[in-house]
Amino acid sequence: MSILQVKNLTHSYNGNTPFVNDAVSNVSFAVEKGEILGIIGHTGSGKSTLVQHLNGLLKPTDGQILFENEDIWKNPKEIRKIRSKIGLVFQYPEYQLFEETVFSDIAFGPKNMGLSDDELDKRVKEICEIVGVKPEYLQKSPFDLSGGEKRRVAIAGVMAMRPEIIVFDEPTAGLDPKGRDNIIKIIKDYRKAFNATVIIISHSMEDMALLADKLLVMNKGNLEMFDTVDNVFSQGDKLREIGLNVPIVTRVFNKLKALGVDVNENVFTVTDAVNELKRIKAGDGNA
Amino acid sequence: MNNLIEIKNVTFEYVEDDTLHTAIKNLNLNIEKGSFTVILGHNGSGKSTLAKMLNGLNKPSFGDVLVNGINTKDEETEIDIKRMVGMVFQNPDNQLVASIVEEDVAFGPENLGLQPLEIRKRVDEALKSVGMFEFKNSTPHRLSGGQKQRIAIAGIIAMKPLCLVLDEPTAMLDPKGRAEIITTLLKLNKEDGITVVLITHYMEEAEKADRVVVMNDGEIIADGKPCEIFKNVEQLKSVGLDVPQTTELLYEMQKSGFEVSTNILSIEEVAKEIKNALHLEEN
Repeated sequence: MSILQVKNLTHSYNGNTPFVNDAVSNVSFAVEKGEILGIIGHTGSGKSTLVQHLNGLLKPTDGQILFENEDIWKNPKEIRKIRSKIGLVFQYPEYQLFEETVFSDIAFGPKNMGLSDDELDKRVKEICEIVGVKPEYLQKSPFDLSGGEKRRVAIAGVMAMRPEIIVFDEPTAGLDPKGRDNIIKIIKDYRKAFNATVIIISHSMEDMALLADKLLVMNKGNLEMFDTVDNVFSQGDKLREIGLNVPIVTRVFNKLKALGVDVNENVFTVTDAVNELKRIKAGDGNA
Repeated sequence: MNNLIEIKNVTFEYVEDDTLHTAIKNLNLNIEKGSFTVILGHNGSGKSTLAKMLNGLNKPSFGDVLVNGINTKDEETEIDIKRMVGMVFQNPDNQLVASIVEEDVAFGPENLGLQPLEIRKRVDEALKSVGMFEFKNSTPHRLSGGQKQRIAIAGIIAMKPLCLVLDEPTAMLDPKGRAEIITTLLKLNKEDGITVVLITHYMEEAEKADRVVVMNDGEIIADGKPCEIFKNVEQLKSVGLDVPQTTELLYEMQKSGFEVSTNILSIEEVAKEIKNALHLEEN
C-alpha cells in the first residue's frame, strides 16, 4: 500500500484574476512506505510549491493528497495532526531557530503534540544522537552554534516529532562537502531508525544517484517524469532540455561510448562506474 | 609588477563572547592581474573573511593588503579600492535594489556621478557581457536565480572594476543557473581581462580556473593549478573538502588496479584516459 498518494494536484496562484498562474498542474504520483523519493527540477519548476502541499501548508486548488488512504483535508481542523506525521524541513531551516536553548528548540514541535516532559526529554536525546548534537549543547543558545550545527538542530526539531514521512527542501544547500555528507548520513540514519519514508528536493544529481530509489522530475509546474533513478538518468537529452543534467560520472560514460568503447552507459555513481570498468577489463578476452 | 592584489603577512582577529578569535593567520597571497583564482575551504576556514579583505570590507588586524599598490587601510583611498574590487554575494535577492533590471545595473554607475550617456553605455555593455541585455526592461523578481545573479554581476561590471570577488555566487542556484554563472565569469575573465576570485563549495567549478587556493583554519594549505590540487584526494578529504566526480572516478579506478592518472579533470579527457587504460589492459 502506498503511504502517500497525490492525485491530480493543481495549485494556482492569483486564482480568479487575469494573472492566474498554475505553479503545479495536474500532478499525480504515489510514494511507498520506506522509500526515498528524489524531486528534481529547475528553479521555479514547482518543486517547493508541490512539497508544501504534502503536509497541508498549502491547500490544493484542485486534486487530493491521501495519507494512508485518507484525504489529509477530510477534516480541516485535524490538519495539525498531519503535520506531525509528515514533517517538512524547509530550505535554510536554521533561519527558523528561535528558542532560548537548543533543547527547547528541538522540543518545540513534540511539545505541541502534547507529550509529557519525560517523553520530550527522551525524544530530544534520541534525536540528538542521530543528528550528532552533543548533550552539552542542549543548554546553549542555538544562535551560538556554527552554521552546520544550527542546521542539524533545525532538522532535529522536525525529526523529534518522529514523522512517518519527512520531506526536505534542498537540505544541503550552502554547505561544504563535509557538511553535505553529514546531512545525507543523518537522513539515512533517521530513515533506518524509524523505518521512515523520505522525500528530498535537490539540485545535486550526484547526491540523488546515491540516495534516491525513485525520481520525480518537475518542469514548468508539470510532472515530466516519475520513475526509477536508472530510467530517469538514462534520458540525458530530455533532462538537459529542461535545464537539468545527469551525474558527471554518467557524462564520462556517455563520452566513452561516443569514443567507441562498448560500455553500459547507465552508471550513475562512482562505485557503479568502477564495477562496470572492472567487468569490461575481466571480460575483454571474449569482447 | 603584475600583481593586482598583494596580501602581506595578514592576520585577522575578532572578539566574540569575550574571547579573541583568529580567522586569518599570517597569510601571504598575491593575485595576478587577469588571473582566475578559485578559493576552496570548509565552512569556517576563513575564505569569506579573506574575500572581504580584498576590497577593504575587512581590514587586517596585522599586515597589509595592497590593491593596485594602494593599502586598504588608507581611509582616503577607501572608495578607490571599492571601485577597483567589486563583490558579489551568495543570495541574489539581497543584492538587487531596483524594480527594473536596467535601473538596478545603473545604480552603481549613477553613484559614481557619471554622465547620463556614459551610464547608458555602461549599463548596455554590462548587460550584454552577462547575456541579459534582452531582459533590460524586466523586473528582477520574475527572473530565475541564475539570471538574477547575472544582473548582480552586471551591476558590478558597470562600475568597471579591475577585479571581481564572488563569495559562493552559485550556492542557491540550480545546475543550469550554476553553469550560466561560470560561463559568464570565464567570458569576463578571458575576453574582458577582468581578474576573478571565486569562492565556492562546488569542486567542479574550480576545474577551469588558472589557480586553486585551499584554505584551512585561516591558513593556505595548498596552492596550484586545479589538476595539481585535485590529485591530492586524501589531503582534500582530510580538510573536509572533496574532489570533482571525475577525479573521484579516476582515484577509485587507481585503487582498483587500473593504470590511470588522477591529474586530469575535464569529462572529455577523463573519458580518453579511461579508454586508453582499457586498451592497455587488453594487450
